[in-house]
Amino acid sequence: MTKRQKKLLIGSIVFAAAFGIAPNVNAMHIMEGYLPLGFCIAWGIVSIPFLVKGFFSIQKKLEQERKNITILAMSGAFIFVISSLKIPSVTGSCSHMTGTALGAILFGPSAVSILGMIVLIFQAVLLAHGGLTTLGANTFSMAIAGPFLAYGIYRLCKKCNINQRIGVFFAAAIGDLFTYSITSLQLAFAYPSEAGVWVSAAKFLSVFAPTQLPLAVIEGFLTVVVMITLENYAQPELKSAGYLENEKR
Amino acid sequence: MRRHKRHSHGVTSIDFYACQSRLRRWNGCYKVCSVAVILTVCLVLDNPWASVLVILTMGLINLRGNGVSLCIYLGLLKIPIAFLMLGSLAVAFGISSYPVGSMSISLHWFYLYITRETLIKALQLFLRAMGAVSVLYLLALSTPASELAAVLRSMHMPKLLTELMHMIYRFIFILMDVQQDMKTAAVSRLGDADFKTSCTTFGQIGGNLLILSLKKANTYYDAMVSRGYEGDFPIWEEQKSVKVWQIILLGLYIGVLLAVAVISK
Repeated sequence: MTKRQKKLLIGSIVFAAAFGIAPNVNAMHIMEGYLPLGFCIAWGIVSIPFLVKGFFSIQKKLEQERKNITILAMSGAFIFVISSLKIPSVTGSCSHMTGTALGAILFGPSAVSILGMIVLIFQAVLLAHGGLTTLGANTFSMAIAGPFLAYGIYRLCKKCNINQRIGVFFAAAIGDLFTYSITSLQLAFAYPSEAGVWVSAAKFLSVFAPTQLPLAVIEGFLTVVVMITLENYAQPELKSAGYLENEKR
Repeated sequence: MRRHKRHSHGVTSIDFYACQSRLRRWNGCYKVCSVAVILTVCLVLDNPWASVLVILTMGLINLRGNGVSLCIYLGLLKIPIAFLMLGSLAVAFGISSYPVGSMSISLHWFYLYITRETLIKALQLFLRAMGAVSVLYLLALSTPASELAAVLRSMHMPKLLTELMHMIYRFIFILMDVQQDMKTAAVSRLGDADFKTSCTTFGQIGGNLLILSLKKANTYYDAMVSRGYEGDFPIWEEQKSVKVWQIILLGLYIGVLLAVAVISK
């Protein structure tokens, strides 16, 4: 094979792999068994403080009003269902929302960390997205980092008097991108290339970019549409979810 | 419509197999513990031969013990493959500023290269992850999520969390049904005519789903209170005992895995 033929062959394989398989990628869950044991434990430990904070915030909510238990459970189920729905796309591919930004805006980021962890367990055993050993890493990227940043951006846009819908859009899109960057970083830490962690991170980022960039924009749009629907039809329900209380603050 | 059906079958199908599995009669705690042990061994050994053995044995148990047909099992294994392919690709390829390795592609600013070592590393990683996924399926296809929550409770996870898990598990199926109906209603009214309409449909279904779920949450709370709910959500559990031969079986299996890893080195 000449050098040029080799190049063409490899190029076509990479192209086919990226575009033939990519349509089936489910958000950014790190699969079971992909991380070495040490990293599984380390990411689990990193997540613990956030989960403890989330646990206390949920406990406080329940002490105020026992009724919140079913609302919290329903919110968790809602996040699960939203993140397991196939989102519309032009190419007929099969991709999913992370739903974390929506959850963070509606229920607050610390409650979402606990609900997100439970949802991730269910996604692992009911859908085989993600896994049990990678639960810590996935919890950190999808239930902690993403929601906290999304919520921060949302509040920031609110403070700067930017149109609320634009704020929601950016919160969801950037939250999604952040989740994806964190996941790539986690993979890079576990599998650094000879040139170092950052080169490896760039590699993982670019491999997942073709699917994640459009997904982030679509997720932003969809979150805005959901929020518009909610504001039009569901003022009292939003209040019970804690969304409007956050507004007043 | 067909595509739509195939998709929805994801959540319910694994749960369905878990409920009808022959391994369901085994003690839940035993299943969780043995899965944890096998997973850990699989990760620590990181040995391609042991991984292949795990993939095959777990496949056999899933087909025979859990009663999943081969066709469906292969379909389930397809889910993680997309991620693994991309992930292994990133491990297999290296980036450098000069051409190295057995194969390299110039991309103007830098070179993408593959060496024997990175290729082997990627393959090893792929096999290890597939092995671990098979183990995960062993748990998922034999243990309903409610049983899993009960096991976590017996391992002293906070009661609040396991209660939430029990409720979320139940509510997921209720919301899935509601969403299915909404989707059917929307699609039969050309709600998926083009990309823009389907985006609006998706958003509206999402919004309405939240409204409905919060309404249902209130109803369920009332129902719970009228049945004497006072902050405690007790769940009846079947008593299943662990047999001695099951523990011996696990020990033997781990022994074989270790032996395979040692011999192949």
